[in-house]
Amino acid sequence: MKNTLKVERAILNLTQEELAQKIGVSRQTINSIETNRFVPSTLLSLKLSKVFGKQVNEFFTLELED
Amino acid sequence: MKQTKDCNRDELKINRLLRFRLPNVYKKIGWVLFFITFATILSTKFFEGDLEVLKIVLRKIMLVTLLIVVLSKEKIEDEMITNFRAKSFSVAFIVGVFYVLLQPVVNFIVALILSEDKPIFENLGDFQILWFMLIVYLTVFWVLKRNA
Repeated sequence: MKNTLKVERAILNLTQEELAQKIGVSRQTINSIETNRFVPSTLLSLKLSKVFGKQVNEFFTLELED
Repeated sequence: MKQTKDCNRDELKINRLLRFRLPNVYKKIGWVLFFITFATILSTKFFEGDLEVLKIVLRKIMLVTLLIVVLSKEKIEDEMITNFRAKSFSVAFIVGVFYVLLQPVVNFIVALILSEDKPIFENLGDFQILWFMLIVYLTVFWVLKRNA
């Protein structure tokens, strides 16, 4: 699964720390999601969706091997 | 219907138990108590007399201090940390089982090679097993956090 979290964050001009605070996680968690080392839960994905104002599948997309 | 309700209630109890964490400050308290206990255990080597009971009590205290560290919250306890905890617990459990099975055999073989008398096959004690599993848990958890 790949994501465009970094791009969405840049559009809103948010740092990793600011985004982390908005959804109640650590900066490391945001970094791990952005670098595809951690796949967030549905709950966290929906929180991100709320911050970005977009559907979850607009910034999380499945890859062929998934 | 009643059975489903009972089942849900049990599930809630288990979830509450799994979510139980001590405040973050207990992590420091746990480590301080651990090092004090550890130093006390080491210092008993320099005293003479029957200190077996004291050693047993100190070992139990050391396990409790490590458990306090394990159960303490991180500064930000989010789902990635929960995920790391689950991974660390499973690694500690699996490695612990291998340790229990293999360590006595290794000890026996080494004793067979090195000692002149016929060695006795001894299983590990509860302290050794629990201490090993807690240390594996904390190490794996630390490595996962560091690489996050």
